Amino acid sequence: MASATRYIGKSMKRKEDPKLIQGMGHYIDDLNLPGMQAVVLVRSPHAHARIRSIDTAAARSAPGVLAVLTAEDIRDSIGMVPCAAQIPDMKNAARPVLAIDKVRMAGEAVAVVVASDRFLATDAANLVEVDYEPLPAVVDPEKAMSKDSPVIHEQYKDNVAYRWALEGGDLKKAFAKADKIVRQRMVNQRLIPVAMEPRGTMAEYLPGEKTLKVWSSTQIPHLLRTQIAAMIGAPEHSVQVITPEVGGGFGSKLNVYPEEALVAHLAMRLGKPMKWIETRRENFLVAIHGRDQIDDVEMAVKRDGTILGLKVRILADLGAYYQLLTPLIPTLTALMTSGCYKIPAIRVEITAVLTNKMATDAYRGAGRPEATYLVERMMDVVAKALGKDPVEFRRKNFPKPKEFPYTTPTGITYDSADYHRSLDLALKMSGYKKLRAEQAALRKKGRYIGIGVSTYVEICAMGPSSAMPAGGWESATVRIEPSGNVNILTGSSPHGQGQETSFAQIGADILGITPDVVNVVHGDTARVPYGIGTFGSRATAVGGTAVYKSLVKLREKLAAIAGHIMGEKPANLVFGDGRISSKSKKKSIPFGEAVGAAYAAKSLPPGIEPGLDATTFFEPTNFTFPFGTHICVVEVDVETGDVKLTKYVAVDDCGNVINPMLVEGQVHGGIVQAVGQALFEDAVYDDQGQLLSGELTDYAIPRAGDLPWMETARTVTPSPVNPLGVKGVGEAGTIGATPAIMNAVADALAPFGVTHLDMPAKRERVWSAIRAARRAK
Amino acid sequence: MKIQGTALVRAPRERVWELLVTPELLARCLPGCEKLEATGPDRYKVALKISVAAVSGKFSGSVEISEKQPPSVLRMRVEGKGAPGFMNGNGLLSLSDATGGTEVRYEGEAQVGGLVAAVGSRLLEVTAKKVIQQFFSRAEEELTKT
Amino acid sequence: MIPESFEYVAPKSVEEALRLLERHGDEAKLLAGGHSLLPLMKLRLATPRFVIDLGRIGGLSYIREFGGQIRIGAMTTHAAVASSALLHEKCPLLAETAAEIGDVQVRNRGTIGGSLAHADPAADYPAAILAIDAEIHATSGRGTRTISAGDFFVDLLATQLRPGEILTEVAVQPFPPRTGSAYVKMHQPASGYAVVGVAARVTLDAAGKALNVSVGVTGVSAKAYRATSVEKALHGEKASPQILEEAARHAAEDVEPLADIHASAEYRREMASVIARRALARAFERARSAKG
Repeated sequence: MASATRYIGKSMKRKEDPKLIQGMGHYIDDLNLPGMQAVVLVRSPHAHARIRSIDTAAARSAPGVLAVLTAEDIRDSIGMVPCAAQIPDMKNAARPVLAIDKVRMAGEAVAVVVASDRFLATDAANLVEVDYEPLPAVVDPEKAMSKDSPVIHEQYKDNVAYRWALEGGDLKKAFAKADKIVRQRMVNQRLIPVAMEPRGTMAEYLPGEKTLKVWSSTQIPHLLRTQIAAMIGAPEHSVQVITPEVGGGFGSKLNVYPEEALVAHLAMRLGKPMKWIETRRENFLVAIHGRDQIDDVEMAVKRDGTILGLKVRILADLGAYYQLLTPLIPTLTALMTSGCYKIPAIRVEITAVLTNKMATDAYRGAGRPEATYLVERMMDVVAKALGKDPVEFRRKNFPKPKEFPYTTPTGITYDSADYHRSLDLALKMSGYKKLRAEQAALRKKGRYIGIGVSTYVEICAMGPSSAMPAGGWESATVRIEPSGNVNILTGSSPHGQGQETSFAQIGADILGITPDVVNVVHGDTARVPYGIGTFGSRATAVGGTAVYKSLVKLREKLAAIAGHIMGEKPANLVFGDGRISSKSKKKSIPFGEAVGAAYAAKSLPPGIEPGLDATTFFEPTNFTFPFGTHICVVEVDVETGDVKLTKYVAVDDCGNVINPMLVEGQVHGGIVQAVGQALFEDAVYDDQGQLLSGELTDYAIPRAGDLPWMETARTVTPSPVNPLGVKGVGEAGTIGATPAIMNAVADALAPFGVTHLDMPAKRERVWSAIRAARRAK
Repeated sequence: MKIQGTALVRAPRERVWELLVTPELLARCLPGCEKLEATGPDRYKVALKISVAAVSGKFSGSVEISEKQPPSVLRMRVEGKGAPGFMNGNGLLSLSDATGGTEVRYEGEAQVGGLVAAVGSRLLEVTAKKVIQQFFSRAEEELTKT
Repeated sequence: MIPESFEYVAPKSVEEALRLLERHGDEAKLLAGGHSLLPLMKLRLATPRFVIDLGRIGGLSYIREFGGQIRIGAMTTHAAVASSALLHEKCPLLAETAAEIGDVQVRNRGTIGGSLAHADPAADYPAAILAIDAEIHATSGRGTRTISAGDFFVDLLATQLRPGEILTEVAVQPFPPRTGSAYVKMHQPASGYAVVGVAARVTLDAAGKALNVSVGVTGVSAKAYRATSVEKALHGEKASPQILEEAARHAAEDVEPLADIHASAEYRREMASVIARRALARAFERARSAKG
């Protein structure tokens, strides 16, 4: 029994796109229910303040207003925002749905207004009078640790959320043996995910049927259902969560938010459908942020360029409250600090602190971009300190392909890789040697280009359940309908990744049919089996494997049925061209005939049940570890500090590929977000906790004109962890590209004596660095 | 936000001082002042509509004079809030004789929050200065009118 | 992001608009594209009770030659200015500047009159308007008066326009022979506004010496201004790189630069010089190759 790979590995246009580009998709705000009320939140302008009183009288009597509620009204009915991460001795910084007694960050909701439309609700929200007693705010994570800092959660003595360390190998010995110890501090700045569609939730309660339907723009419909049910005390089996089209998540919708539980509760409490749509300003203020670490890195090396040890101290700014995974993210950084190098000894110490800012959580890459950035920047800083070429320094410390699976001192096992091949291909594609010659020639003319290399490894396919806070498996049901059409019901929740297409490609190949008769269903807890969701570059490697296994189960069943009809051994049958045939092709029946037989159930082989429906819950044995090499060229205008990207080469290895076009799309998008972090993006709070980059007019994200042509290529090292041999690619660009760009910027500025520059490399920062270095000379 | 600057008011120092501590006169000169009433000694409740071209916002709040050294030093604490956000600050006015009138040095530090901080930071400081300058030129008008 | 309620009126003529403006006074705002007004309204930083849309008035969108001037109707979009063959031939600085405003959507809806009347300190047009000594025509119930560009910008978001007046037209002189110009802008990466924008216009004499230099600067301070000391330093000069560099150093010497999260006051001041030098160098080069 076999099938040809006709669609897997081929670029196919996305099945998702026709509806989206014709404006026929449905996002939350496209949905409306009769009698629906609008929900608007009253938010604190203060980052830290005691609430003396809230006067809702004027708002309650405003036109169209159904209800105005504060924490007093709901605190017994809705639980705290859940956090799935548990770290030993961690402080509890749970976020209430509406602020209780005090606010701890700007934008925290203090009251909710329900009115007949969004306009009246907004008018009424402005009439809610809150009397605040402002308290001193703490914004800087280092200041938050000092003795005289204001304490944000006053049941505790200080703002340190937890301290945690990870060590492998003999670090003392490594540092004692070293010829050189190089130190560098680097800041991984706070970012705002900026999904194109802000969040939104709609809910309807049917009291007769006792069912609660919640529509939400989320990456995790099932986890959301479980958590909402727990928060508002509804029986889980009566709650249905539906995710319509989701306009981007990048981790910002891998969460359970106060508004989601609140809207569901209000629909039940007030007996009317409710909708809340987030404004862009709210999205900036109170949807999760990313990154925000200060990393102190020390690397011990021998003169010949052998790395002996690495010590990293991470100061992670968690913000005021925990969201779903907040405390966990810095630990992912710790796990990946070995990079793609053989480092015999590593110690990582994390100090996580609470500040009067929005929570940080999983933003595209989630802890791994921070790791890759600190390792890859360090490789350049150390190479420079040793007077070695950064490429050769990297190559010297790579494990060889035959050393895989390779276990790092941080305790994880890389599945498979060939770092040398990836690096060599990228060097060749970029014309690295020629670039270096060009750089030297241009410097003589007073032009400064920089060449940056990053060889990264990342961790994908999250992941074995043992390593995950809430399960790391994924589910899929495949149902072949009597017509022969196929429904793949996946527990993954794609929101732009393209699995409606790639899963259909897998289905078509396994069953020997065409992708157009394979439909992928996701994002409705009443239709698909319980799933974990889409994040951590897991949908294809984990979710796709569940799909594959369910398909194989049905193929086996169909082979048994067809064999029975044709008088052939099932093992001798092949699936292809819409037929099931004997290997010799002498005997053949249409695919639909075997399907029909399964439902007609008149001549089934003994022991075979009627119907064609198979479900798999796939539990992976390990993560996967994609890798690659990115090379970036920038030119710096030394008069203004302006950095222009002039060339970009990306070689990524994400194992086997289902749809190369989707992979390229992911790589392009990831690189663009990395460009954002490297050159533009910065969530700036003032010292009183006001978010100054609070709108898209002040928070810069890259635009098409800021980007060079991206030359992409792949090496293919299949993963042994799953039968498809896939690894995952959703975050690779964001992980590999940021250090390549910053290495290029530092390389361009090297003639001035600049050794390191923190992100983002904004004009004024570059200009100041050049000026400071010139003055120091 | 820190603000400092000077304004020349073409009127004698005593008269400028008098204006600064007389609620009715103050109310006339404060740009967009809709209400200013005493709630205690050296304490006032104010309602202002601040507008700069198309941009406007209503603020209500309080002013508390914490130090008075007639006719030269006036220290105050201002708290205001409105739909666009809040502003809490301390201000110091120092009056000295100058050719042709009185020089008023103002310096203050304000915490600004909410919408105005997030979207208006670019224009905040210039706007504040503009409102202050408006105040002093109206004070001058008030004091020089016959 | 939801404005307070307001009444929308769309007059069909300037006269009708003036009557509405007179009737509603302070409570009315004119809508002339809306890229500044509507965001302010959505944030409730502007809360007019009446919005008078000038977009339905016919005959306010044109670029034509009249009486030795090029006349531009107030409701002419940035896109129309950027692509005007007449302006490219006779006053290219205005077209070049218009092409740098915002993005395609902004240029397709934003208007020259709306932008000038709003007088955002980081808008592009003011620099060019100053550098070409444009005239601004303002119409009220008492007729139309002319305001010179140099007098027009008063302060932050404030112009010489009086209550009850509508900016109806901008008039510019065609460039004399041996004239070159350039608008060079450092974009604020998020909003696209000018961190620094410099519009330079240079007219040379037959010997290639600067007969007339004008430099308009936007983005740097609370209002756009003419960098007169730069202009003076170049008068009668042939503009070697050294002379340009020297002259451009004065670009922000008499102003108090703005500061925000994108650029400190010091950086703005320094960049005013760099951008001014670049704009001047390009303007001189174009003047030298212009038809004499």
